[in-house]
Amino acid sequence: MDQAQTRNFQASRLKGRLQAWFSKPANIILLVFLISLAVLTLYPLLSMLTETVTIHTGREARAAKLTAGSLSLYHFERLFATAENDYSWIQFYQPFLNTLIVSVAASVIAILFGGVVAFLVTRTNLKYKKFVSAVFTFPYIMPSWTLALFWETFFKNVNIGLKTSNGIMASVFGVFMPEWFVYGAFPIALVLGLHYAPFAYILIGGILRNMDANLEEAATILKTSRARIIWKITLPIVKPAMLSTFLLVFASSMSAYSVPVFLGSPVRYYVLSTKMKSLMDSYPGQAYIIVGVMILFGVAILLLNQKVTNSRKQFTTVTGKSGQISKISLGKANRPLAIILVIILLLVAVVPLITFALESVIIKAGDYSLSNMTLDFWIGTNLSERLDQGDSTGILLNPKVWNALVYSLGLAVTCALIAGTCGILVGYGVAKRRGSKLASWVNSLSFFPYLMPSLAFGAIYLAMSSRIPWLRGFLLLGLVGSVKYLPFASRSGVNAMLQLSGEIEEAAVITGVPWWKRMIRVIFPIQKSSFLSGYLLPMVSCMRELSLFVLLVPTSNTILTTMLMQYSEKGWAQFGNAINLLIIIVVLLINFIVNKLTGASIDKGVGG
Amino acid sequence: MPEIILKNVSKRFGKFVAVESLNLEIESNSFITLLGPSGCGKTTTLRMIAGLETPTEGIITIDGKTVFDADKGINLPPIKRDVGFLFQNYALWPHMTVYQNIAFGLENLKWDKARIRARVTELLEMLRIEPFEKRYPSELSGGQQQRVAIARTLAPGPKVLFMDEPLSNLDAKLRMEMRTELKRLHRDTDSTFVYVTHDQLEAMTLSTRVCIMENGLLQQYAPPLEMYNNPANVFVADFMGNPTINFVEGHIGEGGQLSFGGMKAKFESIAGVVPKNKDVKVGIRPEYIHIDEEGELEATVYSTLPSGMETTVKLDVQGTPLTAVVFGDVDYPVDSKVRFSFHKAAVLFDKETGKNIAKGRILL
Repeated sequence: MDQAQTRNFQASRLKGRLQAWFSKPANIILLVFLISLAVLTLYPLLSMLTETVTIHTGREARAAKLTAGSLSLYHFERLFATAENDYSWIQFYQPFLNTLIVSVAASVIAILFGGVVAFLVTRTNLKYKKFVSAVFTFPYIMPSWTLALFWETFFKNVNIGLKTSNGIMASVFGVFMPEWFVYGAFPIALVLGLHYAPFAYILIGGILRNMDANLEEAATILKTSRARIIWKITLPIVKPAMLSTFLLVFASSMSAYSVPVFLGSPVRYYVLSTKMKSLMDSYPGQAYIIVGVMILFGVAILLLNQKVTNSRKQFTTVTGKSGQISKISLGKANRPLAIILVIILLLVAVVPLITFALESVIIKAGDYSLSNMTLDFWIGTNLSERLDQGDSTGILLNPKVWNALVYSLGLAVTCALIAGTCGILVGYGVAKRRGSKLASWVNSLSFFPYLMPSLAFGAIYLAMSSRIPWLRGFLLLGLVGSVKYLPFASRSGVNAMLQLSGEIEEAAVITGVPWWKRMIRVIFPIQKSSFLSGYLLPMVSCMRELSLFVLLVPTSNTILTTMLMQYSEKGWAQFGNAINLLIIIVVLLINFIVNKLTGASIDKGVGG
Repeated sequence: MPEIILKNVSKRFGKFVAVESLNLEIESNSFITLLGPSGCGKTTTLRMIAGLETPTEGIITIDGKTVFDADKGINLPPIKRDVGFLFQNYALWPHMTVYQNIAFGLENLKWDKARIRARVTELLEMLRIEPFEKRYPSELSGGQQQRVAIARTLAPGPKVLFMDEPLSNLDAKLRMEMRTELKRLHRDTDSTFVYVTHDQLEAMTLSTRVCIMENGLLQQYAPPLEMYNNPANVFVADFMGNPTINFVEGHIGEGGQLSFGGMKAKFESIAGVVPKNKDVKVGIRPEYIHIDEEGELEATVYSTLPSGMETTVKLDVQGTPLTAVVFGDVDYPVDSKVRFSFHKAAVLFDKETGKNIAKGRILL
């Protein structure tokens, strides 16, 4: 064979291989997502990193005595190593420490509460199980500030915080709670812990439910006591799930913004997220450094989580034989325990809604008599003549509110459609090419936005949009929302695809069914409910999202959540409570409708 | 008439070699079995011929048409290869009824409604599943699901039918029944079957030719009985047959003098040349060890395993274990003495390479 011929062969071989590679839709999908995700996550990250060494115009340039636009490590020095007036301590180390304390405490609360309830529901003959199970995920479906706002409204009084008015506790019961109970580390940790307890409930409960009964029965046969079985067999098996929950709740609490804003800021108790937001206006360089610290934390936690879930200690507990699990009898303690649990759940999930409704109709704060109530804040007109603050019409007659609602819904639907569809495609590509480098890169990249605290993610998109003039408004919000919620959708997409044996699709390939038809007629219908959860979760999250959008909205009237934030900051409590209730009702309604129509539910996707 | 030819076909996943330069000719209308332990590359080979997997090297032609050529960059999709594929776990679409499952592929081929109706009805009858037409796969038993899967595969009338361990999910009784039907189906459909299995009995009973593989390498390609009686190497001899063949290490001296397991005999060749002064392994099928009073050799019974029609007897000949099969049920007491002799043929393998050297008789 002469040289020319050899070269000819090599060329056609290469052509053949490329053709074969590109003939598989999974490869094309993965390549497209690799490139676009790299642009959408790494580029903003890089632009954020440049912001940390750039001197910005205004106060920053004046304080640093440097020309705006020059590069310098000034921000790092200022934030980390300025002893003068305890600057670094106040601006960074104290909030950092607060973040750690609050996040650890929230994780412990979530695991204890969620884990115990999961155990009671799956392993004992507890009464009212159905109710407990149904209501338990409520706090997660509702916006995270719901409980925070409830806590503040319920316990606040004129002696503490902003010292504006008395809440129900003070005005009705005459009990004035101390400041540490109403504001600061304690309520923040408690509220976050309760909000994220469904994580623990779903993760730990899932393992307990699927655990092979033989594991425990084998120990019973060996004459082990009940307590010892729980301690020596059950607990070690759920330990990986507990660790996973800990890390998830820790990461989520660390990046939480709305809860510390409501329960911390009134008494100048700052965590990293709230500190970052307050620095953003005047010293963006330092704010971006805090963003970097938060992202580093997120990445470290993800790596740790991967190590935990990949290690050999991750037990396969799901077996073919799902024997009847013998339930522990709670005996006489059953009813009291069940009643206490139901009361706690009512307090966490139902009472807040009633409180918001109540607070949105009283005229003068603290007076809960019927004569002090009005529906004006909902449907009143010409309010400015009667009130010294707030809008002139009730929220349901206020075009600004309706515009924001439509905008919020449009945004939620857009993000859900984009993120959900991309999630299915990523799931398809990753599952088909499982084990390949390309698949694992795309898988990690699609999960990356999850690690970024929402506020930080918003911040880096802000940094990026300042370089791209056309990236504004709805386009920017839709893009950031779709990328941020992609992890939820891609998780459920990958899981759904992995459950599906490859042969199911190949059986259609053999008869020459084109790819799009295989997706629509074969794959989607089979895993419908998982895929729809992939749409539902971004939609609900987007509807109640505040921290991701707060830095990016053109005006605070743009979406409902920022509007609520604005009203709350202005102290227009009734309007705020009404809007809050409106958001919660819309979110619950979406969840309910989708659940009834398709059988998809939030808990199928929770837990990343 | 389709004839499938594989030339130097290889498949590598990264550094792992799944199939190494495989050459295979599958005659038209034959029933070929790809046999081997799990991970030997048999399924990969099947999927490469069907077009579900892309080979790294080589040429594949079906019915004179090149469907894959690494050098020329040819790679036809499965639909253009005119093949059917029966999957191990049936891969029935759970959201479609039996009728829809069978009809889906035909709709896709743009058949008209009446023709689809007629074809599906014909298949439902042929596989005796008419009553289940409107049911969903989850409402069927394993055997019924298997029939639906076969009907779906046969619907477009493929000239070649690939089957990837289609019976491994069925219970023993049903498997036997389906084997009979598959063999019948092969004749009735007048097409070429390529069948993957790790069950040597299935390969023996079904196929016209068996292709046995290990670690991606072809070991032997022959009709099943030839493979059984004259295996190419130790691996093939060991894989075919149940109970497995006896291997006794020994040495062959001058003039066919064979000493093995403490026994001395003369080896008389039927096929192949008997070597001189070589270390060998002697392969003796259990059914060729006869236990009777007149036997020249003595052994101790280690254990007896009667199964009704036949009895497997584990013998101990001065420390060398031997397995014998006796027709009917006989229960020898443990540690009792019996006499035995070698009948028919044994095979000599090279001790180092494991290759078949000669087939012949052991004369005591």
